[in-house]
Amino acid sequence: MKTKQTIKNLLFSMRTAIVLLLLLTIACILGSVIPQGELEAYYTGYYSGTVARLILLAQVDDVFHSWWFVVITAALCINLLGCNLLRFPVLIRQMKEGYTAEKRMRADDSSDSVCVSDAEKLFQRLHFSKTETLEAGAGRKFLYGVRNKGGIWGAWLTHLGMLIIILGFSLGQIFTEKYSVYGVAGETLPVEGTSFEVTINDFRTILREDETVEQYVSDLTLTDTESGDHVTDETSVNHPMEALGMKLYQNSTGWAAHVAVARGEKLIQSEILCAGEHLTVADMPDLVLAFNAFYPDYVEVDGKPATASSALNNPAYLYTLYYQGRVLGMNVLKDGQPITVDDLSVVFMEPQQYTLIQLKSDPFTWLTLVGGVLILAGLFLSFYLRTEELWARELEDGSWRVSGYSRKGGILFQERILEMTEELTEGDKKA
Amino acid sequence: MNLFLQIEKGIFIGAMVLYLISMVLYLTYFAVKLEKPAKIANLTTVAAFLFHTAALVVRGIGAGRLPLTNQYEFATSFAWGICLCYLIFLWNYKFQALGAFVTPVIFLIIGYAAMQSKEVHELMPALKSNWLAVHVMTAIIAYGSFGVAFAVSLMFLIKARAASQVFWEKNVPSERKLDSISYRAVCLGFLFLTLVLITGAIWAEAAWGSYWSWDPKETWALITWIIYAIYLHLRISHGWKGKKAAAFAVIGFICVVFTYIGVNTLLPGIHSYA
Repeated sequence: MKTKQTIKNLLFSMRTAIVLLLLLTIACILGSVIPQGELEAYYTGYYSGTVARLILLAQVDDVFHSWWFVVITAALCINLLGCNLLRFPVLIRQMKEGYTAEKRMRADDSSDSVCVSDAEKLFQRLHFSKTETLEAGAGRKFLYGVRNKGGIWGAWLTHLGMLIIILGFSLGQIFTEKYSVYGVAGETLPVEGTSFEVTINDFRTILREDETVEQYVSDLTLTDTESGDHVTDETSVNHPMEALGMKLYQNSTGWAAHVAVARGEKLIQSEILCAGEHLTVADMPDLVLAFNAFYPDYVEVDGKPATASSALNNPAYLYTLYYQGRVLGMNVLKDGQPITVDDLSVVFMEPQQYTLIQLKSDPFTWLTLVGGVLILAGLFLSFYLRTEELWARELEDGSWRVSGYSRKGGILFQERILEMTEELTEGDKKA
Repeated sequence: MNLFLQIEKGIFIGAMVLYLISMVLYLTYFAVKLEKPAKIANLTTVAAFLFHTAALVVRGIGAGRLPLTNQYEFATSFAWGICLCYLIFLWNYKFQALGAFVTPVIFLIIGYAAMQSKEVHELMPALKSNWLAVHVMTAIIAYGSFGVAFAVSLMFLIKARAASQVFWEKNVPSERKLDSISYRAVCLGFLFLTLVLITGAIWAEAAWGSYWSWDPKETWALITWIIYAIYLHLRISHGWKGKKAAAFAVIGFICVVFTYIGVNTLLPGIHSYA
């Protein structure tokens, strides 16, 4: 029995909740200060040997997916669940029996009690619309009122909301399907691992007068190749397209170019290559061309390539050529200017912007939203619908001794009673 | 747009000067222990707030959008939020001594804003959303309330040391009341910070396809939320009222300042424009 109680205390107590919240805070600080998801070489290069080993060993390089972060979150969920399960019958009992006139009549009054001539008026002024009157003996009365009883559910609802959010987030991590495709207008791209394909009908960048980007818009057709169903619509930043159970987001954009590879006079390869991609020469697999960067309005700044604007005034391409993994050359090419290696020539031309579309299906987003609403409702109940009790005993001379209690309202509720009493007394004097 | 920015600059400087005057008057009230400077300070604070509001409105008109999208705009709105919450608490609890602790915070933050670039940039596509107004306005109220809680807690800590001084006894509310006011300010801030996290998540889902990305700004907003959640739990479970609660509210506000200003400069992420 004692062990059971100890385990219950350990798992469900508020002390445990506070410790877990502190651990979560430390984890979040680590996750925001130490760069996440970098390669091992980054940590060994940036930190001293011991620190780097510690970071990698304790998975601090990926805090939010580490086993210990999952354990802390799971423990917090167990704590919240246990706390709510234990509190539920207590709150039900409190709603039914916790606030009764009889209980207050039997108990002593608080030391902050005040005297008034008209208790009912004070109750009305303090918004206690429903009052109960009891016989207190010797012909005297006892008045009692309680308001905002529902406020006691605030913390319970907040905890429930937290649980639902964590549940929704965890389910989302497991069941969310995320894919991405990128390409230029006119291309049809299969979504790997699904029966979908995305056709990019059009992609445009809407510019303002000062040439800053106002919006990126992709005109897409999503087709389910199995059923033949298809939907055509637009997607832009902040306005995802919804079709066939998927959401399509305008994720990012970049530059692509038409790359033509010729051996002598004969064209052997013609592809659309996006900046950041590479191309293996078809008849010479040891030769790889990497398209590093694109400059629409090429200028040199301190000897380094840069772009003066986003307009296609002077397009240039930064490339690296590798042969058997070794760098053969790296340079900036103008539009149409060839790279030649023996009888092989490569030309970059027709630059155009590609669009990167993210496809997502998350069946549990609504759960997170429900959790959020519950948290807000719970906090509002907790903070602004504080349960308040007010009672008054009739004294021998016909006046009343009034007391109040509010667990969360505290001294400010007492002061309100005092202020209102003073107002009423002033009013009586004037009358 | 330049004309609007010129006007805004003038009004902004006016607001800054008025905040400075308020601060000096409130501190004088503490130094000379006379009621009059505090009464004038209340009026100059209201005037400063009106100037500050006008500066934000003019900038909004000039920029053609809500002025809530860069470091200058964030800092000036932060100061505005603290002043708004201070005036609400002043009106509600009628204790002007609080001004001596709030106005220096406002002045420091608006001073920081004054040092930032005031250039107006067009909104990047990710920021072109109706959620921007809701998300940032709730953040301003949340952080403004935490600012007031910080000032009240600071008063509490000083009063706890200077309890025997007559002036403090007479003009500063009891420690119990200070504790209650600080708690109420934290409650308001906590409710709004929750709204900030929820509206941010909804917006992120529409803009980036993910409602939570563990971006430094998001993470620090969550850290702030957890710290105040611990504060609220400690009050209930361990009876952490008074000094300990006040010290916690001070730590919480340091966290707020880091989330609001420090993260943008020290920890780049997808919120880096902020």
